[in-house]
Amino acid sequence: MTNREGRDGMRPYTGGDRAVEAVERALAGAAGADEAEAFLTVRSGEYTRFAGERIHQAQDIVERQLMVRVVVDGRTARAATSRIEEPETAARAALDLARGGGAKGVYGVARVGPYPEPGLWHADVEEWDAAARSAEAAHVIREAKEADARAYGMFGRAVTELAVAGTGGVRAYAAATEASGALTVKAGEGSSYWCDLGRSARALGLREAASRTVREAARARRPVELPDGVHDVVLGPLAAGELLHFFGAFGFTGQALAAGVGAVARTPGELVAAPCVTVADDALAGVGLPFPFDIEGTPKRRVAFLTEGRVGEAVTDLATAAALGVPSTGHAHIAREESPLAIPANLVMSPGTTPDEELVAGVERGVYVQRFWYTRAVDPGRTTITGVSRDGCFLIENGRITRPVAGKRFTESVFGLLSRVDAVGDTLATQSLMNVWNGAVTAPALRVRGFRFGPRP
Amino acid sequence: MTAHTWGSAHDDAAARALCEVALGAASGPGVEYADVRLVECEETRLYGRHGGARDERSELNLGVGVRALREGVWGFAAAPLGDEADVRAVAGRAVAAARAAAFEGTERVTLPPRPPSSGRYATDVTTDPFTFSGRYGLLDQALAAAGAPEKVVSAEVGLNAKRQHRHFADSEGSRQHQHLVESGAMVMVFAADEHDVQRRSYPNSFHGNTAAAGWEYVESLRLVEQAARVGEEAVALLTAPVAPSGTADLVIGPAQMALQIHESCGHALELDRILGDESNFAGASFITPDALGTLRYGSPAVNVTADPTVPGTRGSFGWDDEGTPAGRRELIREGVVVDFLSGRDSAARLGLTPIGAARADGWAYTPVCFATNVFLEPGSGSLDELLDRLGDGYYVDDNRSWSIDERRWNFQFGTEVAYEVRRGRRGRLLRNLSYGGVTPRFWGSVEAVAGPEEFRAFGMPCGKGEPKQWGFLGHGASPTLVRGVRIGVA
Repeated sequence: MTNREGRDGMRPYTGGDRAVEAVERALAGAAGADEAEAFLTVRSGEYTRFAGERIHQAQDIVERQLMVRVVVDGRTARAATSRIEEPETAARAALDLARGGGAKGVYGVARVGPYPEPGLWHADVEEWDAAARSAEAAHVIREAKEADARAYGMFGRAVTELAVAGTGGVRAYAAATEASGALTVKAGEGSSYWCDLGRSARALGLREAASRTVREAARARRPVELPDGVHDVVLGPLAAGELLHFFGAFGFTGQALAAGVGAVARTPGELVAAPCVTVADDALAGVGLPFPFDIEGTPKRRVAFLTEGRVGEAVTDLATAAALGVPSTGHAHIAREESPLAIPANLVMSPGTTPDEELVAGVERGVYVQRFWYTRAVDPGRTTITGVSRDGCFLIENGRITRPVAGKRFTESVFGLLSRVDAVGDTLATQSLMNVWNGAVTAPALRVRGFRFGPRP
Repeated sequence: MTAHTWGSAHDDAAARALCEVALGAASGPGVEYADVRLVECEETRLYGRHGGARDERSELNLGVGVRALREGVWGFAAAPLGDEADVRAVAGRAVAAARAAAFEGTERVTLPPRPPSSGRYATDVTTDPFTFSGRYGLLDQALAAAGAPEKVVSAEVGLNAKRQHRHFADSEGSRQHQHLVESGAMVMVFAADEHDVQRRSYPNSFHGNTAAAGWEYVESLRLVEQAARVGEEAVALLTAPVAPSGTADLVIGPAQMALQIHESCGHALELDRILGDESNFAGASFITPDALGTLRYGSPAVNVTADPTVPGTRGSFGWDDEGTPAGRRELIREGVVVDFLSGRDSAARLGLTPIGAARADGWAYTPVCFATNVFLEPGSGSLDELLDRLGDGYYVDDNRSWSIDERRWNFQFGTEVAYEVRRGRRGRLLRNLSYGGVTPRFWGSVEAVAGPEEFRAFGMPCGKGEPKQWGFLGHGASPTLVRGVRIGVA
């Protein structure tokens, strides 16, 4: 990892002292505001992308944004800059916007609070440098070739920094390592996929995962069509995790709760999933991408979405928390080209105790689904999504994985599926939420009794 | 100051000097080619929710991205721009990335030489969106209109503008400065009763619409009037009959056609996907490299072009992000594939001329194949004439959900609205219409496309690449008549 000074060695690109100085200078530049907060996000990432016979995109990217929010006479505005050499310019721009008319509707800034201390920094990511990633890419390209297959993937690492300062007394800085791997191996008409990410590189278990993915792809070489109909399925951890991507859309956000729509507003405490299903947004978990506070400086806490199948609570930021009259859960987020919105950032489904092979052994005739693709909400109120299965999908016959099957479209209710879960796997896998800026999802495999492939009757 | 003379990167001489520093630092043994993009971007966004807090933000970023081709292997690096030292560091890291990416037996790419292309390009702007002062009043009026109907539980209005200095220089002598200005707006309304939640949006359902234009574009939208309309329609949908299942003939409106083109045409024709570069993330394509001139993609009514020289959308530009001049190219002629969306790397691998579709999100991402302005060319006649030709069926528009497989073969879409059409007359409003199909069969079932007077183009964001970057592009169409579509699939 190259830091700003250009020296090798894994250190944050900006560093705590410089980051905190920048947000404090921004805050000072906002003098005259009734309240103000400033945050600085920095992500220095390296990404080794490969396809077929080459590394086609070797990238080393630093992104940075310092944003100031001010409240002046009941009006608020934000301004941001990538130039932390001049943080006062963002403060002045925010003040000008607020004084020039600003946006009505005011909520305060975060107050000082104790921050949790999840394990954020893993020194093993230092060894996961460009040379190591290239060597692993070359290895899996060769291994796939020997199996008459082709490999496509991305191996990466990053350091994420967040510094926050506010007139409520908040001063916070944290830096976190990140390691990721994703691999698609194609053999004939078949394929297999693997991905994982987390704070540690060693935890990826890359070499073993790559070999397994090559073997699975070779086994999936000649898939057969899966007939339309209802099948018992074992959803692999990546397929199961995909179902969790939609919890924000299903109403587990403060905005939905305030509007009176979605699961938390309309079915609080109701049993919508099997009792073996527990889902939380847990920024303090030992898996996924834990982080101690959000961009408003609010300490993150675990937010229970489904506890033993029952609907729990919603994530909030300062704005939605103020509207609901509750404290923020620490989930402020500002996405590109969208209004700020509290979103889940580290979704985790609790693992069960059933080894994955026993999940399969409990299915007389059904389908193992490795992964879903391009899932989209069709009817958020009914938690209906559509998508296709893909990659390493196989028939299960007499409790054993047998022939590969081709991908197939489905349209199903997520709560409906979760209510038909009768066993939960004991092994977790993590995937990013669209991209790592939006967070991560971690889930075990699930056995579901009744999954409809093909169009609805 | 004009709409084009703001910021620190509007000075060509200063920006060019930094680009020369980058090119100098990205040279050395084995480096066959290098390019640099220096981009300064400012964006302003004002959002409001009916009965809730407003949020306004202004975002400025300035950075540099350098690409180096060393012994046939690419490296890319990018960082925010502070001073000249940052530029040198980024260039050095790009070369280092290329060096580290070379391994024994790697496939190497050779770029055919290209003559330099230099100059300036600027978006036509009548009213500078960054000096327009009436946005608060417009937002409040639109919110009041959208949120007025009973049963509207959430109404959001957004106004946005962006301006960018994009400087490009390469080791072959090209020196370019583009100044792009965008303005846009969105309205999104949710209505709910005890049984259902319905959404309506304007002018498009995915982040509204943003045009390459000044504030005059937002003024042309008649936002308050349209906000009232979609608010009322969201409520009306709550009690509208559910659209049926079966097989039906459809006239698909321009907003939905824009997404249809994007998902089942634009992406499928991206040459990097066809060659496998995106297999691990965005996906591949059912099209094979030998499809040119042979693959029947649709009916003779289907003519698809890529033309960034058409002004006014997010796919309009003078050069793509690796310096290829913009030009009009046919992609599908009378239903047959005749070209791909390509950049220099992908085109070189097939021995083709690049189409100029290598695009990058700001300075921080490496260029990949994205659509530019990919349009379904209009046919003839009005919407009413097309509905007459339809006879019995449905008129559908404005996307509600979308999904397509990774080869862009099997898709399923839902629309916010559907209207029953009987004997060419638009009738009842229906809710929850979905349709699905297989890409070449769908396009093969296109019977007619309405004329240029019905054509609408939309600016759309799109995600691709690892790390995921956004491409900003344009798609457009006139209402399109498609026969025998499977509906009610969701």
